[in-house]
Amino acid sequence: MASFKRSLTDSRESSELSSKVFLRSSKGKCTKIVRELYLRRDIPCSSKLCTRCLADIKGDSYGRTKPFVLSSNPPVNDTIKAPHYIVPDTNIFLHCMDVLEHAAITDVIVLQTVLDEVRARSLPLYNRLRGLVASGDKRFYVFHNEFRSETYVRREPEETINDRNDRAVRRGVQWYHEHLKEVTRGSGVSIAVVMVSNDRGNLEKGKREGVVCCSIKDYASGMKNSAELLDMISAALEDENAKVAKGDLLYPEYYSMSKMMTGVKAGTLHQGKFNISPYNFLEGSIHVPSFDRPLLILGRENINRSVHGDQVVVRILSKDQWKRPSSKIIEEEAMTKNDNPDVEQFEAIETEQERKALIDEAKVSQSAIGEGNPQPTARVVGIIKRNWRYYVGHLDPSSASSVGGRSQRNVFLIPMDKKVPKIRLRTRQASELLGKRIVVSIDAWDRTSRYPTGHFVRSLGEVESKEAETEALLLEWDVQYRPFPKAVLDCLPKEGHEWRVPQDPEDPRLHQRADYRGLLVCSIDPPGCQDIDDALHASCMPNGNYEVGVHIADVTHFVKPNTAMDDEASVRGTTVYLVDKRIDMLPMLLGTDLCSLKPYVERFAFSVIWEITENGDVVSTKFSKSIIKSREAFSYEQAQLRIDDGSQNDELTQGMRTLLMLSKKLRQKRMDAGALNLASPEVKIESESETSDPIDVKTKKMLETNSLVEEFMLLANISVAGKIYEAFPQTAMLRRHGAPPASNFEELQNQLKVTRGLTLRTDSSKALADSLDQCVVPSNPFFNTLVRILATRCMISAEYFCSGTQGYPEFRHYGLASEIYTHFTSPIRRYADVVAHRQLAAAIGYESLHPTLHSKAKLEGVCGNINNRHRNAQMAGRASVEYYVGQALRGKVIEEEGYLMRIFSNGFVVFVPRFGVEGLIRVRDLAAVEPKSEFDADNYTLKVEASTGSWSVGLFDQVAVKVMDDVEERTGKRKIKMTLVSVKGRKLE
Amino acid sequence: MSRYEILSPEGLRTDGRRWNEMRRFSPKMATTTAADGSSYIEHGNTKVICSVNGPIEPRASSARNSERATITVDVCFAAFSGTDRKKRGKGDKRVLEMQSALSRTFASTLLTILHPRSEVHISLHILSQDGSILATCVNAATLALVDAGVPMTDYVTACTVASYTNPDESDEPLLDMNSAEEMDLPGITLATVGRNDKISLLQLETKVRLERLEGMMAVGIDGCAKIRQLLDRAVRDHGNEMARMGAL
Repeated sequence: MASFKRSLTDSRESSELSSKVFLRSSKGKCTKIVRELYLRRDIPCSSKLCTRCLADIKGDSYGRTKPFVLSSNPPVNDTIKAPHYIVPDTNIFLHCMDVLEHAAITDVIVLQTVLDEVRARSLPLYNRLRGLVASGDKRFYVFHNEFRSETYVRREPEETINDRNDRAVRRGVQWYHEHLKEVTRGSGVSIAVVMVSNDRGNLEKGKREGVVCCSIKDYASGMKNSAELLDMISAALEDENAKVAKGDLLYPEYYSMSKMMTGVKAGTLHQGKFNISPYNFLEGSIHVPSFDRPLLILGRENINRSVHGDQVVVRILSKDQWKRPSSKIIEEEAMTKNDNPDVEQFEAIETEQERKALIDEAKVSQSAIGEGNPQPTARVVGIIKRNWRYYVGHLDPSSASSVGGRSQRNVFLIPMDKKVPKIRLRTRQASELLGKRIVVSIDAWDRTSRYPTGHFVRSLGEVESKEAETEALLLEWDVQYRPFPKAVLDCLPKEGHEWRVPQDPEDPRLHQRADYRGLLVCSIDPPGCQDIDDALHASCMPNGNYEVGVHIADVTHFVKPNTAMDDEASVRGTTVYLVDKRIDMLPMLLGTDLCSLKPYVERFAFSVIWEITENGDVVSTKFSKSIIKSREAFSYEQAQLRIDDGSQNDELTQGMRTLLMLSKKLRQKRMDAGALNLASPEVKIESESETSDPIDVKTKKMLETNSLVEEFMLLANISVAGKIYEAFPQTAMLRRHGAPPASNFEELQNQLKVTRGLTLRTDSSKALADSLDQCVVPSNPFFNTLVRILATRCMISAEYFCSGTQGYPEFRHYGLASEIYTHFTSPIRRYADVVAHRQLAAAIGYESLHPTLHSKAKLEGVCGNINNRHRNAQMAGRASVEYYVGQALRGKVIEEEGYLMRIFSNGFVVFVPRFGVEGLIRVRDLAAVEPKSEFDADNYTLKVEASTGSWSVGLFDQVAVKVMDDVEERTGKRKIKMTLVSVKGRKLE
Repeated sequence: MSRYEILSPEGLRTDGRRWNEMRRFSPKMATTTAADGSSYIEHGNTKVICSVNGPIEPRASSARNSERATITVDVCFAAFSGTDRKKRGKGDKRVLEMQSALSRTFASTLLTILHPRSEVHISLHILSQDGSILATCVNAATLALVDAGVPMTDYVTACTVASYTNPDESDEPLLDMNSAEEMDLPGITLATVGRNDKISLLQLETKVRLERLEGMMAVGIDGCAKIRQLLDRAVRDHGNEMARMGAL
């Protein structure tokens, strides 16, 4: 009998097979894992010059193959004078991804060794890299060197894994070099392969082995736009030596990850999201599960290098250090104006001025501790996850004023977002960037540095130019504003604008579609609305009840799941409305034409038809896909005029009157159930039709027809929510609005009680709605709206969720007082509605549900994204209004009425309803010399002793202010500025 | 997200294979004289020893059938075969299921009718596990049955196919799963009889979308045909060797 035992050396020397052995330890147990590795010779080099590798192209199971990507005529530059491909090592991808994303860098070979390391170190960077490879026009190619027998490198005994990987990279470069030399022999073309690294040891070894190599800095400085590229090189790669030389450690060290984790588990440390107060840059707060009120984090040392939005771990400070939240406005601009970005070694962590401000603070709170209730304070001891993103801002002119040549200098960037500290960056183009909106990214925040360091990404244009400002705010709120890619546009119907509803009744597209073309349907929208999502109709039934129908644009007929268009829409999540611009979720052709329920043409719709009694009770509900023909598209005013015009008695007008009558009943019912009527300051910008320059600001008017449409949309959403939940109890896309915790209202309750003697009950939404109705001060008609605005701010925001993730009682929509709710009525501009449409279509058996909508995990991902996008879209919209209000008031001085919204010991916030804006008035701005002031924190009053006599002002008081525009130095935004004219009718001069 | 890519966009799997490539497959026949027939198969890192005894007189009266031979299967996982040292008892559900799947597969292919009132006993020892265990057991048993000279209609060969979902939701069948792929992907084990693509075993233990099954089966049938060639060559080589040694 032959023995089949193989000797160990036998398998090791086989060139086609190698085994990877590694140890894994989990829970103290060690396991040995053996993996095979099949080394091959058919991995193509992907250079268009190479004919030999063409034979190695292998398709996937569909026979699809990938064409070669690396150009036959790659770029040259001043450092590497021959045409070349570059091979960066891992550190380059980890620290200089921005450079590689720049359009000037092409023909890059990404080795598998490097790719795997990037993946292990940072998944987001890996995804960006994969995106670059997929984009095609950047000509990035992933070469699987670990699977090719010539380039596979076996780890030597005693060799560290990093050294082995560096060697694998060098081996890969060598192989490419030899391979290309061979295939181009005789053709007269020669192509170099350059290893780009920043590791000095690796570069030296490469030189010794005859590999062409250079550092990223040398490489970038040989490019045409070197200044721009060099600025993008992350500060993290800057000379390590310089860092070590600076001995001063300004900030306390972070705890190790394991120490934090054990601390959090044991309850001695707390984890949460770090927030900076919008009024005081030295005061942060953090909400942790074990305290119902947020913990305060005061001062730079306690904030310890965390930036707004980071996931941090904090330690509670001892009780004698507990304080009340700041009653003072502290702005970074004023405090740190004179900081020099170059001088580092002499600075202390807190400047003299900052310390003074904090001491003042402490005195106030110490004296207040007796009667007030101090809040727990905490110190950041570690960061779980940074929330760093791209920041938009402008250079601090004072830090960059000393005009120099093109030498590299340190400058400060002042971010637009006030909650983000100044960012120090090194740049060679300081003089060019001055006065521009620029995008930067934070690289690191060392213990030795008072400010985070970052690098330049790109420039958007002049500060205050419309394009730059719009792009800046879109970037700042992470709105996808690039034009739709070709793959998305390819998903549109071929007929384009010529698309018509098929007339042949046998057409498969009409299958199961109800024909509602005979119904008198009309749409009511804001004036100038192009993307008409919804249309309505109502008619009397023979039994005395009413038939009411809501018809929603059938977007899902055009947007099929799992197409490029669907993916794009789910990423965008929502249409973003800015004052002068709309960033669509779906391409124009669908949004404003084929889906839009335009008048006089036939359109596909998804209809909800109810039978409703005269009292507004729903008898039955019917859902179906349909064809409709809208008779008219009204604006709210037009519809109101038509309803009020007694001389019009056609059927359409009658139908609208029925709708109005029913909507009032529905509204009353909702109010009785405890729905809230909240307010938010909304204004409209009037602009000149030719130049679209803003000229005036108006508050939005609410008409009866507004609430008519709203009521039926709510009813449709609620009906649909019930239906899809019934069909898909685990995966229905719903929307909930949690009840706000009582502590959110504490301050407002106290303020109302102290200043006006009013009580706000918050035990249920009904109680809140009723007590809000009673918050009336006869002398001040605006008071009620003001309270509603403040109450709105105490709410938590509504969110989309997947029904399987919550218990049924948690589905409640607090604001609408409905047990279940979803969004169904605006599929053109919200992705949640698209999902709801698909689920409803499946629930009524119209089509089968796509597998992605069956998966709870996928849906949760979608919900997370659209919740985020929705919030960002709102913020971007508000920021846009704010910018235009500033522009509209440019050069004007207007006297307006305002109300005190918040009060601090050294200033107060005034809200001007006419423009829907808030402005800060500081005591020191009241006169040339800062007048003496006395702040009574318990009664919310501020007494000012000016040279012309003393006066006092309290919360919610009416004041008159002069409103003018002003460019805020800190953010570079044109904002409105207010000065006080009179208090309670008394002129101040 | 897993720590590595099961299938890179360039079409290579974690161990360097493409979608339609099998791992190294080395069959050996007549490895021990202690049994009537025996075999040893290494399929990647999955290693299985098989020995066949029979037809013999049934050891238990329950295995006696007056019309045909009964096929009994014993599967034994060596404690050191997996990543963790773990002993699997005789009553292990998974082992019982494998045994019954194997005995039913071979009952349909062996000419049991020729040996009534007798038993064919197949004993399988798994020395090392790295995916596709049931398939390797089928292949090892086939080879050992050929060695034992039990009459059968044709080779029974088996392989596995996984279904990988690309980021764009399209699917890609992957031939011959290793244990990492088995852990992450849905997959089938498929056995065919002879050249005419007759499927004698199809096992699916996870969920997979129905429309993908056909593509997976087509790839699996091709894989089984390839394994049949390899087994056939092993049998012929063995035969030639025997002839050379003068055994025939």
